[in-house]
Amino acid sequence: MAGLELHGVRKAFKGVQVLDGVDLTVAPREFIAFLGPSGSGKSTLLRIIAGLETADDGEVILEGRRIDTLPPGDRGVAMVFQHYALYPHMSVRENMAFGLKNARVPKPEIDGLIEDAARVLEINELLDRKPGQLSGGQRQRVAIGRAIVKKPKLFLLDEPLSNLDAALRLRTRVELAQLRQRVDAGVIMVTHDQAEAMTLADRIVVFNDRRIQQVAPPMEIYSRPANTFVARFVGSPAMTIIPGKLQNGSGHAAVRLGDGALIETAISRDGLPPGERIEIGLRPESVRVTRDGDVATTTAKVVLVERLGERSLVYAQLKDGTEITAEDSGLSTARSGDEIGLKIDGAAAHLFGADGTGYHRQDA
Amino acid sequence: MAASIQRGRLPWWGWIGLVVGAAIMAAPLVWTLLLSLKNNAELVGNSGAALSGPYTLENYVAILGNDRTLRWLLNSVIVSLGTTVGVLVLCSLAGYGFARLDFPFRRTLFTLVLLGLAIPSQAVILPQHQLFATLGLHNSYPGLILPGLITSFGVFFMTTYMRAIPKELDEAAMLDGASRFTIFWKVILPLTVPAQSTLAVFTFLGSWNDYWWPLISATRSDMYTLTVGLASSQMNYAQTSGLGFLMAQAVFASIPIFVVYVIFQKQIVRAMAGTAVR
Repeated sequence: MAGLELHGVRKAFKGVQVLDGVDLTVAPREFIAFLGPSGSGKSTLLRIIAGLETADDGEVILEGRRIDTLPPGDRGVAMVFQHYALYPHMSVRENMAFGLKNARVPKPEIDGLIEDAARVLEINELLDRKPGQLSGGQRQRVAIGRAIVKKPKLFLLDEPLSNLDAALRLRTRVELAQLRQRVDAGVIMVTHDQAEAMTLADRIVVFNDRRIQQVAPPMEIYSRPANTFVARFVGSPAMTIIPGKLQNGSGHAAVRLGDGALIETAISRDGLPPGERIEIGLRPESVRVTRDGDVATTTAKVVLVERLGERSLVYAQLKDGTEITAEDSGLSTARSGDEIGLKIDGAAAHLFGADGTGYHRQDA
Repeated sequence: MAASIQRGRLPWWGWIGLVVGAAIMAAPLVWTLLLSLKNNAELVGNSGAALSGPYTLENYVAILGNDRTLRWLLNSVIVSLGTTVGVLVLCSLAGYGFARLDFPFRRTLFTLVLLGLAIPSQAVILPQHQLFATLGLHNSYPGLILPGLITSFGVFFMTTYMRAIPKELDEAAMLDGASRFTIFWKVILPLTVPAQSTLAVFTFLGSWNDYWWPLISATRSDMYTLTVGLASSQMNYAQTSGLGFLMAQAVFASIPIFVVYVIFQKQIVRAMAGTAVR
């Protein structure tokens, strides 16, 4: 039995469609990340699952039971809010007990659940403090604790790390990864931070323009993006996507770029859309700045060099003005305005049809 | 550095100004207190006798022995507390409704509430009097309390305060299985305590000092509030009871106000400074 099923979920706000027929199946105990830009509908979908918004159409089913007709408190889900939403006038203990009291759980049992959660989250010392007396990280733990004690079937995390500073975010990310091992429930996390999604999730659901663009494990999202949006959105820096002409022939596809360079890909010619118009996608690591003795695929003019320590990113322009991002060693000597040679690894290239659909080599 | 330390300090002439100002403000109060502590006979023809002893508590003893004054005090307490509790309940509920619930004509109704701020109570006194007369509510506690419960300011104040409370708290409570009433009672209401205490203090003071409506509604002396009762004393009994007794009544009437002020000083100052919200 699936953990969570969404069937044809639609939602509009004042005539503006926010979600347009979303279908998704989540396995029990699976960690799912909803990834997408602001306004893509990911938070709205999370709120529909939680019961904080009502879908205009569609069904939400959790462990075989339809829940979209139930009030939020009866759905068996717990949510950690972006700004924690701890009750400021209650102590940490009271915050954690509030939901259990509403569910009429006996007091000794409430005390036991709180003690257990507090021990796991290392917040035993904070139980009698008010949220105002806690740091951001401690509030985050309390918010998670408040969700854990309810023993939900599904945890919903709404950008849980966005309010933490960089160092704490990394630490909390690790703690979240550990946490999911301890709880017997699925997790859905909304984020616009791809590093968070890539690190924590079993599968990533990429949202854009009211729809799910792709559902896949992190590395598949990275190496086999379903379309140009996913290709550009996941990966930093973004994939370079250049228009080209598909060359006639059989076997693997070859694409000629605007500056005349020919790239032999490892993607089968069969299955590609008809016509010669195509776009080729290149991750920076598949475009290397040539050194002495290397054979260059093409040449480009350096616009900017971003030195990251162990490697450098070279932002350059091809002869026809197309922008491309290449990688060089950390000790790159390239400077802005230099003419450089680029060696493009065609075997790592991706192709995209006119409608944006992605085509990849079989073993990628 | 020196300038920043100096900034918080008052120069000597500032202190003198404050002392003189405080003396001017306090003088009538001290004068009233001194007069209330003098034998009435000594004050006849020379109120300046209050500046020297002997002082006595006989006027206060007389007040406490006077059933009528105690009755007025009781009336004032009942009316002021009743009005305050009623205003808090109604304004909290209305504030929550306007701030959180979605219902037809919400904006229109709130605009009407705001318009109410512009209507002085004197403008509606005649129809109000007529209405209460028709309902037979004059000379009764409901008659004295009910008009005070209609406060546009209170509704506006509580609505504004509740709107500033993050909706995420309501949502967290919904996910915690709380009913709408539980959310109001256990989550939102406790967070409005600062606003409620400010509203309570102003409502209590306003009701305690109200003279206009009790004068119209309470025509039987046993239903007078302290303000109306004392005013009637001045007109009818000043010559016979004496200045000392009159001033003792004034001091006596001020004691509850003084107590409220001492307890809620912080809220009053904060409200006056316009920072009551948050």
